[in-house]
Amino acid sequence: MAMHAHAQTGRLFRFLLKKEWLKLTIWLIGSLFFVFIGVFAFTEVYGDAAERQAMAIAMSNPAMEALFGRAIGLDNYTVGAMYSHTMTVMALSLFALLSILLVVRNTRAEEEDGILEMLRALPTGRLSHTISALLYLVLTNVLITVLSTALIFSIGDPSMTFEGALLTGMIYGTAGLFFGAVALLMAQLSSNGRGAMMLSFGILGVSYMLRIIGDSGTEVLSWISPLGLLYGTEPFVNNYWWPVLVALGITALIVILALYLQHRRDIGAGLLPEKAGKRHASALLKTTIGFALRLLKTPLIVWLIALLMLGVSYGSVINDVEGMLANNEIIEQIIMSNPDLNIVDQFISMIIGVLSIAATIPALQALLRLKGEEKKNRTEKIITGNRSRIKILGVFLGISLVTSIVMQLAQLVAFGGAMLAMDADLSFGSLFESGIAYLPAMWVMIGGAVVLIGWLPKFTGLIWAYLGFAFTVLYFADLFDMPEWLTGISPYYHIPEIPTDEWSWTVTLLSTGLAIVLAIVGLIGYQRRDING
Amino acid sequence: MTAVLEVNNVTKMFGKFQALNGVKFKLNKGEVLGFIGPNGAGKSTTIRILLGMLKADFGNAKIFGKDVWTDAVDIHKRIAYVPGDVNLWPNLTGGEVIDLFLSMRGVKVNKQRKENLMKRFEFDPTKKCRAYSKGNRQKVALISAFAADADLYILDEPTSGLDPLQERVFQECVQEVKEKGASVLLSSHILSEVERLCDQVAIIRQGSIVEAGSLEDLRHLTRIQINLRTREEASKLVEQDWVHDLTYENGTYIFQLDADHMDDLIRFIQPHGVVKLESAPAKLEDLFMRHYETTEGGV
Repeated sequence: MAMHAHAQTGRLFRFLLKKEWLKLTIWLIGSLFFVFIGVFAFTEVYGDAAERQAMAIAMSNPAMEALFGRAIGLDNYTVGAMYSHTMTVMALSLFALLSILLVVRNTRAEEEDGILEMLRALPTGRLSHTISALLYLVLTNVLITVLSTALIFSIGDPSMTFEGALLTGMIYGTAGLFFGAVALLMAQLSSNGRGAMMLSFGILGVSYMLRIIGDSGTEVLSWISPLGLLYGTEPFVNNYWWPVLVALGITALIVILALYLQHRRDIGAGLLPEKAGKRHASALLKTTIGFALRLLKTPLIVWLIALLMLGVSYGSVINDVEGMLANNEIIEQIIMSNPDLNIVDQFISMIIGVLSIAATIPALQALLRLKGEEKKNRTEKIITGNRSRIKILGVFLGISLVTSIVMQLAQLVAFGGAMLAMDADLSFGSLFESGIAYLPAMWVMIGGAVVLIGWLPKFTGLIWAYLGFAFTVLYFADLFDMPEWLTGISPYYHIPEIPTDEWSWTVTLLSTGLAIVLAIVGLIGYQRRDING
Repeated sequence: MTAVLEVNNVTKMFGKFQALNGVKFKLNKGEVLGFIGPNGAGKSTTIRILLGMLKADFGNAKIFGKDVWTDAVDIHKRIAYVPGDVNLWPNLTGGEVIDLFLSMRGVKVNKQRKENLMKRFEFDPTKKCRAYSKGNRQKVALISAFAADADLYILDEPTSGLDPLQERVFQECVQEVKEKGASVLLSSHILSEVERLCDQVAIIRQGSIVEAGSLEDLRHLTRIQINLRTREEASKLVEQDWVHDLTYENGTYIFQLDADHMDDLIRFIQPHGVVKLESAPAKLEDLFMRHYETTEGGV
């Protein structure tokens, strides 16, 4: 029986490449572009050793470590060390995300759609479909490893040695393999693609948070986190190889477990139980708002919990930032020379910017769910009922706006609460002012999404690219010295960084006004266009 | 006759829910078996067990004398499967998917035959699958199934999205493979289709086979509609326990007769002077409904 478990894997794999090659190419180009930007910017902007050393000092405080990872190679902060320190966690998360999506899309999602059933009715082995997806995962990550290594080594400066470049490529690929294997395991536990994806993202999220907490104190947590473990290779600084071997070993074990479960279980079955649903629709469900909320309930709750945890994680490291201030003469000197530049305040406003972008994701997701419904031919069933298009889009828009406010306030409470619990000296008022100042920027993003839904429904995905860009600006604008015209495209860039800056009614009103105009334009478009399903 | 397919007391539990309870039937070479039953009765579960995708908790099923779970790959080389709900990869064309499925069956593809089928089903293979309607997606599976020879065709509500013209094409295809000596397991809700195509019928209800046999045999088990006019009154008919639902209108008796009591009927009415005797054979639908309607106490 096991003999036949992988029959025709080769043919399935070739076929998988045929349907995936375009996606693979786009992902690879995107990922390599990300790597390229990092290496290129650092070699260009931080060519000067003294400048890098100054950066090293600015980077070596717990707040920055919580963001980027433990500071490494500070005594000789080369371009390579700088790249490893600041880019690794982001890159690992990106490649993990890529592999999770890849695995779920090619395993459980196809099983859920009934495609696997047809393939299994052909003379293919019980594991062939899964193994071909695994081969694809391996191929993708080998390509990521090889291409990243080549790219970094060819355009990096002399501090970027071949060994370091190879190690960097290896941890990128290993992160992908690890989280791809996790996704495969989750695909056995959950009976649907969505569940498998949520569980995998959950594990990625927990790894990220463990690393934050670990890197700002309890170091052992960093080593438990796969992200922290691979970060511990410290490419270009110490080039430790053992974490790669440990991660690959664990990956192999996860894959074996997943294949074992896959081989044993029935098609369509998940190991996690599903409970019976309700017989009747509640009065709330029969209203448009209740219906929309029901569709969005689970992702919104998951996001709320995730953002609360993120807020608490960042809030709990605040004391270390202060402790650093008290002990570090150099930083004190920086503050003395520029009394406006308070590291704690800077940290807080930076974090609130990051949190605001994070909170925009669920708000956009709530709105774009309407597009998802259309794609699955379900909006037609609502629109042919007694509910107008304007009302339906209006309800989703309303929920999206409320989501932005609730998520933002909730994480501010978590962030502020955690800081208070740490006996940090802060004004809750200015913290909220700072967070609320970002709301209009979030609404501009929502307005943009409404315009896409109303006029360019095929390109609603662009809003994610825009949000990704906004995040890049926030995170890297100073690091990369981005020009003003470029950074200005991000609505978040214009928001005053309270408490460092003053509250600005001009920005608030202009942004809100822009958001309203965008929303109206989008609503008009949605009223006029064809509904495609 | 050699049994191509044998199902012996197959039982399947999903958690605490008993999906199949001792399912038992068989299909011989060259025969078409209609597999019918209400939604949720266990048809698709049975078929998935036959395809080696679900593992039976008890009992066993054999195709070509091989175990459906352990020898799935070998068995699948000689079968073709069409599901009722076909989903395909949105970014590939129908033609590509058909070729893929055929190549994986490892059979020689007669290109002429494939083209011919596409023409008969009025199928455009150059469109991406995301643009196909349910009926067109189903045609992809049907063409892949019939474009190459198989010894057993497993069809799970294969015509649920087809229009009546194409359903006729489908029926022709089934006839053709039958003439070539292949066996067909046809699960369907379209009883006229089953009646026209099938030699054997198995009715499943709540996870058990409640009736199985040739359509001829089953007809004997059921009732025949009789229209009878006699010169003299035959009011004693109502007292016979093989007469059901008797009505009397304009001198004509209309009633249901237990199929195996035709002889009794003839003997009984002969002295009354028969003017007219019409009988209509039992429809599969009547048989089916009788089984469906006796769900009291169930569910």
